[in-house]
Amino acid sequence: MTDDEKAAALRPPADPLGDQFWQSLKEGRLTFQRCKHCGNAWLPVRSECPRCLEADWAWENASGAARLISWVVYHRAFHEAFADRVPYTVAVVELTEGPRMTSNIIGAGDPEALKIDQALRLVIEPDFGLFVPRFTPV
Amino acid sequence: MPLPKDVETTTPKYLRDKYAIVGVGETSYTRGSGRSTRALATWAVKNAILDAGLTPADIDAVLSYQSGDSTFAPFVAGDLGIRLNFFMDVFGGGSSTEALTGMAIGLIEAGMCKTVAIFRAMNGFSQVRIGGTGARSAPPITGDMLHSRAYGWQSAGQMFAPTFMRHMFDYGTRPEQVAAVKAIHSEHASNNPKAYYKKRYTVEDVLRSRIITKPLHLLDCCVETDNGTAIIVTSAERARDCRQPLVLIRGVVGRCTKPRADMHYEAGPISTVAGAYAREILWPNAGVGPADVDLTGAYDAFTFTAMLQLEDYGFCKKGEGGEYVSDGTIRLGGRRPNNTSGGHLCEGYTHGMNMVIENVRQLRAEADDSCPVGEDGRRRHTFDYREGGCRQVRSAEVSANLGWATPATGSAMVLRRL
Repeated sequence: MTDDEKAAALRPPADPLGDQFWQSLKEGRLTFQRCKHCGNAWLPVRSECPRCLEADWAWENASGAARLISWVVYHRAFHEAFADRVPYTVAVVELTEGPRMTSNIIGAGDPEALKIDQALRLVIEPDFGLFVPRFTPV
Repeated sequence: MPLPKDVETTTPKYLRDKYAIVGVGETSYTRGSGRSTRALATWAVKNAILDAGLTPADIDAVLSYQSGDSTFAPFVAGDLGIRLNFFMDVFGGGSSTEALTGMAIGLIEAGMCKTVAIFRAMNGFSQVRIGGTGARSAPPITGDMLHSRAYGWQSAGQMFAPTFMRHMFDYGTRPEQVAAVKAIHSEHASNNPKAYYKKRYTVEDVLRSRIITKPLHLLDCCVETDNGTAIIVTSAERARDCRQPLVLIRGVVGRCTKPRADMHYEAGPISTVAGAYAREILWPNAGVGPADVDLTGAYDAFTFTAMLQLEDYGFCKKGEGGEYVSDGTIRLGGRRPNNTSGGHLCEGYTHGMNMVIENVRQLRAEADDSCPVGEDGRRRHTFDYREGGCRQVRSAEVSANLGWATPATGSAMVLRRL
């Protein structure tokens, strides 16, 4: 699988809001949405606040500080694009601002030594033709 | 154990015991069926019809569930000479059996049909592998994968395992405790002549098997098989004319979710699963609680899924699931055996149907083990649970099936014998 084929297979579908999310990452910013009506903050992107259904929201930049909610280590790839990356770590992380997201943990040395609830910080990596938000232990 | 707090539920309680599962049937469990899903479904539904002592003319509705990997109800009905007053093919895997049973009750209650066959047919090994390899490994990206594919977050085991990882952290649950689920289910399967894996495994075997996704070992994961499975639901009144001892439906909860089933890890605590919500519908509807249940069918896509559900449906205190599944309670001869057929970990993978079939047979006192069959056609159970022996639970009167789709979605059903 060439890099171009991997990028094509993993590129998110065209979506007005999703495109803005990925474009911000290209500019070095991880963003989330906050409702101007009720103050709720969320990811992944959606057009209305999932708490009060108002569509009156604004993008906010995440500070990049986060904590590790849970994680697993893939010793087997279920997509060819990841075949040469095992073992790799997939995690649920919680941004300091509240939203949770799926991501990867990188630069952790031995991934088996990760600790739930430990502090993380954002690293934006160019990958698959995208700029992918990943996290590393503080 | 006291009932959870009674809540207003969606199912009127007067439907308790008003419907029954009158027929169960399956194909053999193989890897390489050499048949289409249509042929598998037809075979399984036919067996369920014969089991019930009915004819195709008695069936007037067919429901099925699938994930784009199977045949459709009207084809199977056609092959069996069934004229339909209702059919529907539902998208979904685990948790569908109980949910569709609940739908069947509603359909009959609404006067739309009288007797419903429900099937699931899949070549889960030889065609669309349920483990996430082959055709299932690279489906086109859709909107709901916007925030998963780029991180390599894929396959059921990997998407569910963060729940178990967090459970270990929150409650001190240990891998060897859930490994006991595989060991115990393998003991049950060794007494099930139709199980795909009849070999007995130990906790050490599980822990020594290779890691697929930490914290999951190969033997923490279920088997992939090809098979068709079916049940038949009708009113208790009609059930009295059928061939088998009555197995009545006490209560159902179908596809009950945690908050934000779309991305349930958004909301904590993630070490709690949908059962914590579903039980508040299940037990009040059924009019019984966990203490009244003689055997369970907790969905074992993975060893830990059975543990999480037994815990959140209230069979033990929150956080004590690891102890519950490893202290002998869920073993044949224990206080409340789980998945006496061997379940998904050993008998075969059906997205839940085989666990309902097994509990129906158990409640009839007709577990199809190697015990001798008497002249009256009834099995003479020995209750000797050694390898190759009996797997009938003594005095089984009430069962609970706990179906799992994801940590965020579950269905359940309580059955009882008359």
